[in-house]
Amino acid sequence: MPTRFPTINPKSLHFFFTILTICLHLTPIINSRTIRRIGSPSYLSSDDSSVTYLWPLPSNFTSGNETLVVDPNLSISVSGNGGSSVIVREAIARYKTIIFKHVGSSKSRGTSNSDYDVNKVTVIVHSDDEELQLGVDESYTLLVAKNNGLSIIGEVTIEANTVYGALRGLETFSQLCSFDYGTKTVQLYNAPWFITDKPRFEFRGLLLDTSRHYYPIDIIKQIIESMSYAKLNVLHWHIIDEQSFPLEVPAYPKLWKGAYRKWERYTVEDASEIVNFAKMRGINVMAEIDVPGHAESWGTGYPDLWPSSTCREPLDVSKNFTFDVLSGILQDMRDIFPFELFHLGGDEVNTDCWNDTPHVKQWLQDMNMTAKDAYRYFVIKAQEIAISKNWTPVNWEETFNTFAEKLNPNTVVHNWLGPGVCPKAVAQGFKCIYSNQGVWYLDHLDVTWDGFYDAEPLEGITDSVEQKLVIGGEVCMWSETADPSNVQQTIWPRAAAAAERLWTSKEAAPTSNTSETALTRLHYFRCLLTRRGVQASPVTNLYARSPPIGPGSCYDQ
Amino acid sequence: MIWQTIFLGLMLQLILVIGAKYPKNINIWPMPESVEYGNQTLTISKDFNLKVDGSKYKDKSSILKDSFTRLLDVVTSNNVIEYNFGKVDQSNLLQGIHVVILSEDDQLQYGVDESYKLNILSKGNPNYAYIEAATVYGTLHAMQTFSQLCHFNLHTRKLIVSQTPISITDRPRFSYRGLHIDTSRHYQPLPMIKKVIDSMAYAKLNVLHWHIVDEQSFPLEIPSFPKLWNGAYSRPERYTVAAAADIVSYAQRRGINVLAELDVPGHARSWGIGYPALWPSKTCREPLDVSNDFTFELINGVLSDFSKIFKFRFVHLGGDEVDTSCWKLTPRIQKWLKNKGLNESTAYEYFVLRAQKIALSHGYEVINWEETFNHFGSKLDRKTVVHNWLGGGVAEQVVKAGLRCIVSNQDKWYLDHLDNDWQQVYMNEPLTNITNPEQQKLVIGGEVCAWAETIDGSNIEQTIWPRAAAAAERLWTHPDKLAKDPNEVTSRIANFRCLLNQRGVAAAPLDVPGRAAPIGPGSCYVQ
Repeated sequence: MPTRFPTINPKSLHFFFTILTICLHLTPIINSRTIRRIGSPSYLSSDDSSVTYLWPLPSNFTSGNETLVVDPNLSISVSGNGGSSVIVREAIARYKTIIFKHVGSSKSRGTSNSDYDVNKVTVIVHSDDEELQLGVDESYTLLVAKNNGLSIIGEVTIEANTVYGALRGLETFSQLCSFDYGTKTVQLYNAPWFITDKPRFEFRGLLLDTSRHYYPIDIIKQIIESMSYAKLNVLHWHIIDEQSFPLEVPAYPKLWKGAYRKWERYTVEDASEIVNFAKMRGINVMAEIDVPGHAESWGTGYPDLWPSSTCREPLDVSKNFTFDVLSGILQDMRDIFPFELFHLGGDEVNTDCWNDTPHVKQWLQDMNMTAKDAYRYFVIKAQEIAISKNWTPVNWEETFNTFAEKLNPNTVVHNWLGPGVCPKAVAQGFKCIYSNQGVWYLDHLDVTWDGFYDAEPLEGITDSVEQKLVIGGEVCMWSETADPSNVQQTIWPRAAAAAERLWTSKEAAPTSNTSETALTRLHYFRCLLTRRGVQASPVTNLYARSPPIGPGSCYDQ
Repeated sequence: MIWQTIFLGLMLQLILVIGAKYPKNINIWPMPESVEYGNQTLTISKDFNLKVDGSKYKDKSSILKDSFTRLLDVVTSNNVIEYNFGKVDQSNLLQGIHVVILSEDDQLQYGVDESYKLNILSKGNPNYAYIEAATVYGTLHAMQTFSQLCHFNLHTRKLIVSQTPISITDRPRFSYRGLHIDTSRHYQPLPMIKKVIDSMAYAKLNVLHWHIVDEQSFPLEIPSFPKLWNGAYSRPERYTVAAAADIVSYAQRRGINVLAELDVPGHARSWGIGYPALWPSKTCREPLDVSNDFTFELINGVLSDFSKIFKFRFVHLGGDEVDTSCWKLTPRIQKWLKNKGLNESTAYEYFVLRAQKIALSHGYEVINWEETFNHFGSKLDRKTVVHNWLGGGVAEQVVKAGLRCIVSNQDKWYLDHLDNDWQQVYMNEPLTNITNPEQQKLVIGGEVCAWAETIDGSNIEQTIWPRAAAAAERLWTHPDKLAKDPNEVTSRIANFRCLLNQRGVAAAPLDVPGRAAPIGPGSCYVQ
């Protein structure tokens, strides 16, 4: 059930723009859609460089040519109805650490406020509603102006309807700040800034597969943290698959016998901790159990779920027990995952085992079903269980391709096989998530950054009503050959390319001439990730996650 | 007679139990000198705390307190722990750690006493694990060992220490256990370096050899010669003095010394970006101009600035791979050589020895790469430590000549050689063919090297780990406890690799070449 958030009071908005207009008259502003001086990768080697690069690019902004020095004792205060939010307070602490990481603790230079141009950031959050659901308002405005007595609005203001908009604004603010190695202060180039920003799509996802390889909590948290830097907002947690079943399910405690090892497991509390950690960063967790095709590991604890001990997949469609277990899992997961979407998989179902196993075959005959009918029967029944637990089902596209007319009309179709599926899905009134494997599968190592960047979720959809049904897209990190040692450099920087596609308006982030409009910024963002401790790979390698080809600057590789 | 036999039999059994070479179910890495253990389980209490009664050490700079906080962080970070102790028997609780440190001193100098004892009784009221060490740095190692004894119990959701009572006595075999990183071929951001330092501490490595500068870039700020860091790749790819000092202090608080290197005269082209006079000529830029006094003034300035940041006893002056053809090809230098009666080879010697004198004048002892020894070993300062790299057998020659040596033979201990697998790293013995005990003492240790031609912020951790851990055990563990066949320790090192992953370190699979991706789905513990 979508929650409505209050919009900005039109009166205060009007006031805000009046003040802004005054500022615009007082300070010279260079109006630009794309940031200037793009294109020279070694720009940073020259001494006069003071350029700001933002990723993903805000949809609307203006900047100027002043350089402001930021007070290391910067005060960041929060006001508005959401002013007491712990989410915002903790985010402020995180971003302060990021912004001032390079400033030594020794206070050798002047510590009086007047030595700095920016002493104060005001964050205004209009709503105290912290519910994080699909479509939550993530918009914000960010104003940076020098407090020189002329401006009526002093310094830095971030204004947002929700705490989650405030988080996005803080991320952008952190990217405006750079450490200057000459003066050893944090500087804010190209001020004054006026940014009005909001996401293009409400669903901006990353899939993580913890079944092919297990990821310790610490690594998952690192991934979530890095997602927030690129303003991604959904972690699609493909928890379980045929290889292992790492999650605890109290209703059926033998299920996690399907974990690889005793230590490669998530307790219920661990999973809740992940959901909470993500929420603190404005990120929803969409859980998946991929039925009936990708579930062999379920049978390690309950062999009855296999058609037979030699033919183990898909789950046995003929037994009520299968659906009892499914229902038990969904019931337990409901307590962990508050997000309204739940992914039921449904892809790559090879029904041979159903035909080859006598008792299942008999059941099919009794029910007068073909194996294909039974596939549909399974998926629809799983949907009904999920809906009964107040979830909106998401299914991989095969379900839509095979029996669209039987799917619950609220189903979100998750594209992956290739292009052209979302147009068909939305034409039939379904919502759709775009993950075309040719461009947005991160485990396809031969897809380069521009392949990700040039992808267009709305490709082939012109009707504006239909366009709205594409709720967004997702890059997928299947883990056959990814584990804690290399997952971050398989994800980054390519996921960032998709993140800009999903966040930034098409006009502000065109797919033409991207080596001018995007590449330098992406180089910069990749280096920003490594400076924040994220193992992001070189941008321009032809093969993802391969090492740098030789010595060189991060900004060139 | 019967009693004697029984007694002997019992003794023998006891020896078999305690003295078993590889305690089967003990997954500590690197293996301590001696471990005795039982089969009782203790639960870690909610208010697990640090007690220091009887300790001489005052912990003025919180090294001990912070290490205890980190210990709690690493053992609790991976699971949500239940601290409701409704019906747990109090005597089965472990209340904390009682640390007794015998020395007040917290100087981290070369050869500092790193030994410790760790005892955990299976009952007590209240029960504290007991750590005794000569220095706070021995205690840090004990904390690492303790952290590896803690496990999460999936049923009770509590942290436990099983196999108590436990009694561990431990100390390092070598006093120099190094890891080399190179921030010139690629810049490493500060958080990456700090993560490397954290992970070194997990493996009880104790020297970060920081190859700061090379021909490609000069990322460090040198206040005496501020234009030097014009040689950085870019403005942000730099370290301020404050950042370098921060790294040194961060490492020191984890018991790790930072060995700074200035690789002269051969690997220094980037110096000339700020000061072109250091190049023989604009077109022939390496090695540094031997004929120019300014070159040595500058080295003096750099080392003077170094001495304010890098407090380790040693500084590394490089001296490897010196191709002197630029000296021959530059007429000015050619003339200078003639006037001085030097040839290219003696000029190389002249340069290295002059640089050594400057370093000595700043209170450093000098480490040089082995070429200096191979060319003019007898001329080197007698306190020089020769750093082997080209191949095996060098340490033998060095210690015979009475000099100290660090072993890093590239065919085994260069981590950028991706085909050096962990078994080879494990089996590389620094004392090969050195039997004389006096000569053995001259091998101060060894170091694994991660040259950064193809290592950047994206892949440094998985290039280093888990292979560096194999060297760490070779350097730490008493030879009697080292496996003769590396396959005997496969499951224990796999466990350590997974432990690194749990602590957020991107350690690579063991069963593939260096830093390669896993070959397919599977458990961390078998890949």
